[in-house]
Amino acid sequence: MTDAELVLRTRAGDPDAFGTLVSRYYDACWRFAYHMLGERADAEDVLQDSFLRAYLAIDRYDERDQFRGWLFRILTNQCRNALTSRGRRTRRFVQDEIALESAPAPPLGLATGVEDAALVHALGLLDPLQREALLLKYAEGLEYGEMSAMTGAGESALKMRVKRGSERLRALIGRSLD
Amino acid sequence: MTSHGSSGPNEPHDIDPFTVTDDVALVARMRASYDSLPSPDAAQIARCTTAVLSEAMHAPARRLGGSRRPRWWWGAAAAAALVVSVSTVAIRRGRTTAEMPGGVQPVGATTERGDTTRFDLTLPSTAREVALVGDFNGWDERATPMVRRPNDGAWSAAVPLPPGRHMYAFVVDGKKWLVDPLAPQVLDKGYGPANAVVVDGP
Repeated sequence: MTDAELVLRTRAGDPDAFGTLVSRYYDACWRFAYHMLGERADAEDVLQDSFLRAYLAIDRYDERDQFRGWLFRILTNQCRNALTSRGRRTRRFVQDEIALESAPAPPLGLATGVEDAALVHALGLLDPLQREALLLKYAEGLEYGEMSAMTGAGESALKMRVKRGSERLRALIGRSLD
Repeated sequence: MTSHGSSGPNEPHDIDPFTVTDDVALVARMRASYDSLPSPDAAQIARCTTAVLSEAMHAPARRLGGSRRPRWWWGAAAAAALVVSVSTVAIRRGRTTAEMPGGVQPVGATTERGDTTRFDLTLPSTAREVALVGDFNGWDERATPMVRRPNDGAWSAAVPLPPGRHMYAFVVDGKKWLVDPLAPQVLDKGYGPANAVVVDGP
C-alpha cells in the first residue's frame, strides 16, 4: 500500500494505517534523530513527538509531497526544539576537543550493531545547524534544493553549513578518516 | 516552521556554489555509522505508535505541547479491561465501585442523572484539592475541580457527558494522579491504567 493510501486511511480514522506509516519510517527517523541528538532516550522522545505532530497534522499533508520529506520536516524541527530545551538544561556534550583528539581512533570497518561513537560524539561538538545540514546532505543524500524546502534555509547558507561542518568534523576526527 | 529559516553563526550568503564539494570520506563514514546503528526493536516502534494514538485521543490539537499527563503511570500494574455500563433510565441508579473498606483506600463512584454524570471520590487522607481529569476535559487538571461535601467529606464533581466511553482519573493536590483501584479500569496504552465509564445513549 502506498504512503498516500495509508494517509487517506489514517484520515478516515484507521489507526492501523498510521501504525504502518510509523513502522515504515521509524527506522530512518531513528538514525537521523540519534545522530542529531547523540542520545537514544532523547531520540525516542523526539520520534514520539514527531509522529504525534504528524498524526495531528495529517489533514494538512499535501499528497503531492513525498511523505518522507514531509515527516522529516517535522522531525528536523522537533530535533531543534529538543536541542534548544536541552541547551537550557545542561550541556550534554563536553566541549573538550583536546581529549577528543587524543582519544584512540576507532577501528576501521565498524562492527555491525555498534554505532560509530567517535563520530557521534564529534557531531555533537558541531553547531546544530551544521550538524543538521551535514546529516541531510551526507547521510540522507538529499540535494540542496530538497534541504532548502525541508529546512526553510537558503541553498547558499546550507552549502556554507556543509562546508564549515565538514571542515570542523575533519579537524575532529580527521586522523581516523584517511 | 518557527526556526527553519534561521541562520547559523557567521554565515555568509554569497558563497560560490561551485566551490562546495562533498567530502567523500565523511560521506562514507557517516553512512557507515547510520548502517551500524542498531535498529530499534519492534517493541520500541509499537510503544511509539500506541503512545501517539493514545495521546492524540486525549490532547486537543490546539493544546498540543501543553500540559500532558505525567508518565509515571507507565509500567504500573496492568488493569483489567472492564468497562462500566451505566443504566439509562431518567434517574439512574447510582453505581458505587466499592464499599468503603475501613477508609484505607480511595473509593469512587459514578452516578448518572439525565445528561450529567457525577463522580464521587472518598479519600482516606486529607487532601487540599482534588480535580477530575479525563478525555472529556483534555486531562486538564484545572478544568474540573471537585467540591468537598460537608456532610461526608467526599469529593464530588458533575459533568455533562455525551454517550460513549470516557476515561478519567483524579488529581490530588495538583500533583498526585490517582486511579480508583476498585473501579473498572482500562489500560490507557500511553500511560498506564485509567478508570473508564460508558455512558449509554438514550
